[in-house]
Amino acid sequence: MKASSSSHRSNPIWRFFSSIHLAVFLLITLAITSIIGTVIPQGESPQFYLEHYRYNFFLILKTLHLNDTYHSWWYMTLLGLFSINLIVCTLRRLPFTLKLYKRDSLSLAPDRLLKMPFKKSWKIERCLDNISIERIISGFKESVGKVREAPDVDGGRLFLAEKGKWSYWGIYALHSSVLVIFVGALVGLFLGFKGSVMLSEGKTIDSIVDRETGVSIPLGFSVRCNHFYISFYDNGAPKEYRSDLTILNGKKEVLHKSIVVNNPLRYRGITFYQASYQAIPEASLRIVSPDGRQTSLDIPAFQTVLWPEARLTFGLMRYEPGNIHGRPAVQVWVENQSGQARAFWLLAGEERELNEGRNSYRVSLVDVNEHYLTGLEVKKDPGVWIVWLGFAILVFGFGVVFWVPHQRIWLWIGHKDGKSLIILSGQSNKNRLRFEKNIKKVEEVLDSSIGVQR
Amino acid sequence: MTFSSSYFLSLTTFIYLGAAILYLTYWVFRLGKVGLLATVVTTAGFIVQTTGIILRWIESYKLGYGHAPLSNLYESLVFFSWVTILVYLIVEWRVRRRVIGAFVTPFASFAMAYASFSPRVEDSIEPLIPALKSNWLIIHVVTCFLGYASFAVACGLGIMFLVKDRSKGDPDGILGALPTCRVLDDLMHQTMIFGFLWLTLGIITGSVWANDAWGTYWSWDPKETWSLITWFIYAAALHARFVRGWTGRRIAYLSILGFVSVIFTYFGVNFLLSGLHSYASP
Repeated sequence: MKASSSSHRSNPIWRFFSSIHLAVFLLITLAITSIIGTVIPQGESPQFYLEHYRYNFFLILKTLHLNDTYHSWWYMTLLGLFSINLIVCTLRRLPFTLKLYKRDSLSLAPDRLLKMPFKKSWKIERCLDNISIERIISGFKESVGKVREAPDVDGGRLFLAEKGKWSYWGIYALHSSVLVIFVGALVGLFLGFKGSVMLSEGKTIDSIVDRETGVSIPLGFSVRCNHFYISFYDNGAPKEYRSDLTILNGKKEVLHKSIVVNNPLRYRGITFYQASYQAIPEASLRIVSPDGRQTSLDIPAFQTVLWPEARLTFGLMRYEPGNIHGRPAVQVWVENQSGQARAFWLLAGEERELNEGRNSYRVSLVDVNEHYLTGLEVKKDPGVWIVWLGFAILVFGFGVVFWVPHQRIWLWIGHKDGKSLIILSGQSNKNRLRFEKNIKKVEEVLDSSIGVQR
Repeated sequence: MTFSSSYFLSLTTFIYLGAAILYLTYWVFRLGKVGLLATVVTTAGFIVQTTGIILRWIESYKLGYGHAPLSNLYESLVFFSWVTILVYLIVEWRVRRRVIGAFVTPFASFAMAYASFSPRVEDSIEPLIPALKSNWLIIHVVTCFLGYASFAVACGLGIMFLVKDRSKGDPDGILGALPTCRVLDDLMHQTMIFGFLWLTLGIITGSVWANDAWGTYWSWDPKETWSLITWFIYAAALHARFVRGWTGRRIAYLSILGFVSVIFTYFGVNFLLSGLHSYASP
């Protein structure tokens, strides 16, 4: 065992990775290099970078993957080195911690006790009888709590109250939590996906598009958007975006939920987030023929509608919700049989002549209805629970490392040079001020129980 | 409407400026009574500011918006100065060194002055946008700002350390009034640990919230990344103590550098970089 650890120590690679210098160096390097990705826009197309940067810089950018800095080979290498450094440092510390943990504090001789940061001794001329000794011990036990005893240490009885010995392991929790978080992130990176979908009201989908690869991913179930709602504050700022979603297994409805921005829907490990929306207008037109007959025609955006009577095809080009005289307006496109097309604006409530051959029609805009497309982010990340676990360990470890002290309080009762000698001593590796206050109280208790004997 | 929140908060600005001047006077002229007065004035300012923040919270309910005053740059600056004063008063109460106030209260009064007087900072109460409607808002902002405020105090201590460190062989004069380098180093370390814990919690609560709001617990948004950069710097500062040869000076420099990074995370990202965290933009 000893041979192996000394061969570790002489191994230059092991020494390199176990140094705290490397840890500090890597932390500062990570801090500096992380700046890059906040200055250069991430995840844009090559054209974007060519337009915004000089060609030479573009080449550097391409080599170092600065368009996706935090997943680039060199950043990953830094994180890898950091992990190795963390693991090796931990392994190197382990024997010391084990030694500290296994150290028997119940065999310290009186002269060692007198070298502790806190110590106090009482010398009594005559021999103490058993009753008074028991009184002192019970006083000590009452003021410090659980106590262990060694019946013969240097001719005396030694008592020890020890607390928080386990706190030496806190640093391992703290450091390993960083690795746990890394593992969680990798699990998410390799086993999860992120995608998005635009879903119009009433539509159902059973697959989504992966954001990075553009590949379609089947969900294994389907999702229907029943409704999308948007509401505004009085000042016009958006108040809430809400999608009513239903999960379907085949034809069976299994789950129904309204999602808003901070409240997603989770089903079978896949989460649906409210991310964006789009309003799709549908214009209702009224057309009055020369003979006085009225026709209603609904024209949804992105579609053409044929009006059979005059063999005209209608389409919606633009939509202004209420900018013109506070009334909605649409720009309509009309094509006749021979392929001639024209475009004109219609303001709600105003009529307009439309001449087609010898006929003249009067067209008006009755109303514009808005249908919505809801934009959903769809994500699967099986690593997220590992990351949460890492966070919990991190906070726990942090608390233990900085606020749970290892405290030891000793009481030794015996004889030296024909006199009775009582020693109280103590040590704490953290929060010494508070420890001193506590041990002063123990001292007072002993003072009074010994004082009775004098 | 004279006693509206904005009245109290503008008043706070002047009280903190006064307190900063008193602490400086106390330090330079070593007048014990001025020091006591500085503490009294700071505490009074803190009470006035607390009243202002509570009133603003109530006013947002009266307007029908109903949210904690933590939703835009103005409110966050007010909160930053509030937490800085809170952390400072705790430190002063625990270590009984008023000189530190001369190095910390300027941060709080500067934040208030900037919030009150800069034309770039809009101080009206606005409704909460959908992305911020979450119970995580208060938890996330409070944890982050406890970190920021502790780092402001640690930065003040770092400056004190560097000033003091230059004064070797000069026990008298105004530098003699500063605590010894050992005391400053220890205090700086304690404050950095405290801030580091809160920054860590701030990042964690932010991740958990982002996972609900944006669909991912980490998206390398500039604000997230800068908070991580800050985290790296303080992690380095805390580990640097174990490196042989790294004396208090280098750690003091790291403490100042760390706070520069905090400032950039807080303002620079909003003004210079774009991203998901654009709520606090002017």
